[in-house]
Amino acid sequence: MEFVCLGLNHRTAPVDVRERVAVPEPNLGETCGRLRELKGVEEGVVISTCNRTEYYLVGENSGDVLAQLRGFLSEHAGAALGDEHLYARTAEEVARHLCRVVSGMDSMVLGETEVFGQTKRAYKAALEAGHTAGGLNKLFQRAFAVGKKVRTVTGIQVGQTSIGSVAVDLAEKIFGHLRDSRVMVLGAGEMSRITAQSLLSRGARSIFVANRTYDKAVELAEELGGEAVRFDAWQKVLEEVDVVISSTGAPHAIVRREHVREVRRKRRYRPLFFIDIAVPRDIDVGVGEIEEVYLYDIDTLEQIANEGRERREAQIKECDAIIEAELKKMGVIA
Amino acid sequence: MGMEKWLLAGATVMAVLGGGLGILSLQRGQRSRWTLVCMLGAFLLQLGFLGIRGEQRGQCPLGDFGEILVFLAWSLVLFYLLVGPVYRVSLLGMFTAPLVAVFQLVALFPGMIDPAPEHVEFTDGWRETHSAFAVLSYGAFALAAVAGLMFIVLNRQLKGQQLGTGLFRNLPPVRNLVASVVRLATLGAGLLTIGVVSAFQMAEGAAGIHRNVAVVTWAAYLILLGVYFWRGITPKRLSLLVIVMFTLSLLVFAFV
Repeated sequence: MEFVCLGLNHRTAPVDVRERVAVPEPNLGETCGRLRELKGVEEGVVISTCNRTEYYLVGENSGDVLAQLRGFLSEHAGAALGDEHLYARTAEEVARHLCRVVSGMDSMVLGETEVFGQTKRAYKAALEAGHTAGGLNKLFQRAFAVGKKVRTVTGIQVGQTSIGSVAVDLAEKIFGHLRDSRVMVLGAGEMSRITAQSLLSRGARSIFVANRTYDKAVELAEELGGEAVRFDAWQKVLEEVDVVISSTGAPHAIVRREHVREVRRKRRYRPLFFIDIAVPRDIDVGVGEIEEVYLYDIDTLEQIANEGRERREAQIKECDAIIEAELKKMGVIA
Repeated sequence: MGMEKWLLAGATVMAVLGGGLGILSLQRGQRSRWTLVCMLGAFLLQLGFLGIRGEQRGQCPLGDFGEILVFLAWSLVLFYLLVGPVYRVSLLGMFTAPLVAVFQLVALFPGMIDPAPEHVEFTDGWRETHSAFAVLSYGAFALAAVAGLMFIVLNRQLKGQQLGTGLFRNLPPVRNLVASVVRLATLGAGLLTIGVVSAFQMAEGAAGIHRNVAVVTWAAYLILLGVYFWRGITPKRLSLLVIVMFTLSLLVFAFV
């Protein structure tokens, strides 16, 4: 009985190749069944996410299984896949690789947590369809335990790595659950849209969009399920909102200290979070000096995201050491 | 040393342990679950101390400065145990434990606790009510001040964009802290209202300066809450005021 893993990911294959071999989640169990029809294959699990598709198999002879698997994959992709897109792991390397995958160490965003759940669902699909047994059951359960330990003990998932996620984290640090928070977007640009969507995905209650071209505001408001506001009315909306995302193309500051001062009393001095992702900046620096205002510009957000990425990268050695130690403890590797 | 002092010493050790474990966990970027356990242990030991002293006195154990401090520390822990988990104000224990430890360490100083408390034959219900509710209210005010301090720390980090520390990651959100300050100050003001009203009903009447300081404290908190609910106040000013007011209001015990 030998372990085999064959796959491709965001580092080895561009998206047009990855999408050819991707397996939709409802078809994972059935695909495992087709893999077991290959000669000498006893067990199979398929992991398929937007960044990777990987086949984990147990067979009599790893060389034979790999050769058949390459053929299967090319057939599934509709054309032969170049070797440069694929990577293969055998024996204890399979366990090591799977542990790195579930720990988020092999992900595009280092330490991301989604892959853990995706791998669990992929394993569950194979298990429920009856395509796993002693070999892969043990391997995956151990990998999940190691992944949990890596995430608990190290800081691999601590801190955010993108401007949008940093902004959302800060908003949650100020307001807690965002379900009671209202957001205003100034400027209907791409960055505003992404950041607003991040806030909505974490439960922000309502969104107002103000843009110099009203039609664009309406368009973005419709996309976000919010309300469009005439650009000359944004200051009135400021009385109600908790978060302001600004990314207009204006050559000068749009929001000045006096604008905020005028609405402080009506806002009852509630905290107000400004996310200024425009260059040149939309929000005057003096606004951040008002007691209940928290102002973050694009450079600060980018710096925090960079620090998050660096902090995560600094954890890689420690994560690998934990994986090695745990796999040794479990007797998976010598 | 009597049993009650051992219990108090034990409660102090638990508070120090709770705070210490909280700080150590924080340095690792985590929260300590043991802080809550230690504070629960401290609470039970404090109850033991107050129970023995109450038995000895035959009335609410607020007869000397040491007892007042322990009662205050007990009410602080009580409100922490009630408020902390309910409103998910994490780290409140880590901030509360040092204050509890300081109050109790002072109470353990020689001369602070009367070694042979007088057993009273007659108790005035209004006096008991006044003492108990007044000290309970101070527990709530103390915890409001602790939550206010946590806000000041968080606000400083958010304003200064120093976001990489374990302390920052583990502090509760601004909105939760402000809500806790307001709830605790309101609770304290409510309890102190009962304390002040009962003071005026006492058979002997309330003593001059003590009464005046208590009334000023009560009025100050009511005004602060009135301003908060009527026109609003910045979270920073609210937090600074509850800290300053609690610190100044401790003067009331100098005139017991």
